[in-house]
Amino acid sequence: MIEFDEWEKRMVLKLVYYGPAMSGKTTNLLMLHDLLQQEGRGDLMVLDTKDDRTIYFDLLPFFLVAPSGLRIKLKVYTVPGQVKHDATRKAVLQRADGVAFIADSQVSETSNNFNSFQNLEKNLGFVGLDIEQVPLVVQFNKRDLDRIVAEEEIRRVWDPSGIPVFMSSALYGTGVLETFVHLADRTYAYVDSRYGLAENHGLDKQMFLAQLVRRKTDHA
Amino acid sequence: MNFIGEIKFLVGAEKRLIDVLDEAQILPLFKSAVKAGIEFAAVVDDKNVPLWTLGPCPPASVVGEENWDARCKLLLEGEPVGAVCLRRGQVNPHGCEMMAHLIGDALNSIMANNLKRMLTTEIHTRVVNQSYDELRESHRQLIESEKKYRDLAENLELRVQERTEELKRAYARLLQQEKMVSVGQLAAGVAHEINNPNGYILSNLNTLRKYVGRMTSMLEYYRGLHEAAGSEKWRELKLDVVLGDVDELLDQSVSGAQKVKQIVSAFKGFSHVDDMGVSAVDINHEIDRTLGVLSGEMPGDTRIIKEFGVLPAFEGNGALLCQVFLNLFRNAFQARSEGLQLIITTEHEDDTLRIRFSDNGPGVPDEIHGRIFEPFFTTRDVGHGTGLGLTIAYDIVNGYGGTIEVENSKKGGAVFLIQLPATGRTDGQVR
Repeated sequence: MIEFDEWEKRMVLKLVYYGPAMSGKTTNLLMLHDLLQQEGRGDLMVLDTKDDRTIYFDLLPFFLVAPSGLRIKLKVYTVPGQVKHDATRKAVLQRADGVAFIADSQVSETSNNFNSFQNLEKNLGFVGLDIEQVPLVVQFNKRDLDRIVAEEEIRRVWDPSGIPVFMSSALYGTGVLETFVHLADRTYAYVDSRYGLAENHGLDKQMFLAQLVRRKTDHA
Repeated sequence: MNFIGEIKFLVGAEKRLIDVLDEAQILPLFKSAVKAGIEFAAVVDDKNVPLWTLGPCPPASVVGEENWDARCKLLLEGEPVGAVCLRRGQVNPHGCEMMAHLIGDALNSIMANNLKRMLTTEIHTRVVNQSYDELRESHRQLIESEKKYRDLAENLELRVQERTEELKRAYARLLQQEKMVSVGQLAAGVAHEINNPNGYILSNLNTLRKYVGRMTSMLEYYRGLHEAAGSEKWRELKLDVVLGDVDELLDQSVSGAQKVKQIVSAFKGFSHVDDMGVSAVDINHEIDRTLGVLSGEMPGDTRIIKEFGVLPAFEGNGALLCQVFLNLFRNAFQARSEGLQLIITTEHEDDTLRIRFSDNGPGVPDEIHGRIFEPFFTTRDVGHGTGLGLTIAYDIVNGYGGTIEVENSKKGGAVFLIQLPATGRTDGQVR
């Protein structure tokens, strides 16, 4: 549901980090904020939290300009993972252009992952989006912990779906950029197919990703 | 493609610079700058159009970027949306540059906070509204399901009542059938056992009367032979009186035996042992018959006034109709034990047969008026009434498509009115 205003030459894209409670959605955004240069992005906005649990959402905005002058704002949101905040999740999920599902790798969290994914499917339907159409990537976070589901098992389950899956330890920054870049990549493809970003605005995928993902040199 | 007018964000709609800054937040900073010697301060948008200014109004020519001594970009979510611009006046270039950054950083921070506050308000409002809507929806559903369950519960009670009523009536019917069968069997047995001896009592009495006649003649003959002694003995034995009385004794015995014969016959007729099916019934005759059976129960001084009209034959079961009349008679007998006067009227009008039992008893009290046809409802002492008499009458009449009602007459006393369809009904079975 890309917001595109040709007259104003503006486009607003929305990516949503979804997933069960405590799976590391906010940590992903914090790490993105830390790993990327100040240029081309805004500050991470963490709306009020309670005991470090997200109750509304977090927002990390990016801004880039296509050679045609089209100004693109890309906003990355997290949703609150706790079951009770479903109304907030629906509101944030509205008009999403891409979704990263952050799962918790711990064996004990398997059913929470499952329930949250079902909730995602349901809420996408609620806001009029089709899970088959929306650019989607999955991240299995907390790979640094013990008692986690084996990667082969995860691949065995997810690979048939065709959805890209990434292993990460958001707390240590691994897999965070990879997840983000792939989601941006898929979202670009989706937007390009509808609005001709490369053809009409001279913005090809490499440029798009390069403007979006400017690593800090000390992390490079 | 243009989505203007179609896009409705619930949260996170794009904000412009003027949405996230206002004069009250800028002016104190600008005033401090002017106090510090700055000549002119402005916030311009991304097209360099001044939005807020302090100091002598600049001519249009100074709007361009090159007319400012120092600028600091204002970023909203990473996007350049304008700048703070200063004309230095008495402040040295470096100081002006520093001041521009100072004010710029302050405004950027204010903008971020304002945006955060707005987003929080938006999401909060959104969630509250949505929760409210969902609550209303679930409230509505609850009310709906509550109504459903209430209806169900109410119907359930009604159904239970209906079934209970049905059961009571079925039980009453069963009792009635059993009684009818035993009455019928009893009637048949009694009729047989009494009719035989009663038959030879009657026949023998007639023969005896003949024999007595002959013996009387013989006695008179003897008296003639022995005039003196005979006459004395005749007087001693008061044979004048005896012979005069014998006839009367025999008459009374014969009429008593005939009465027995009649009663047995009425009883048999009443029980309809020979005729349990549907046939053409003379209602007036059935009333008489019932009355015949009840002669023993009837209080001695009862006056029965029959005002029978001419009725067509009624297609029905005489035994059942007798039951109706029996129960009405009994009801009347029990209503008043002395000086009872019962008027029975029958009439035929259009397609309706009306049978009215009017007594001069106390009438039916208002508080039980609606209940007297209920099964097992009785005002009599335990053991004196089954509470089924009027129920049975009601069911039988109802089974013929008729009605039975009770009301109190103006003169006092109860009036039971039975109305039956004149044709009767061949399927007239008790429900």
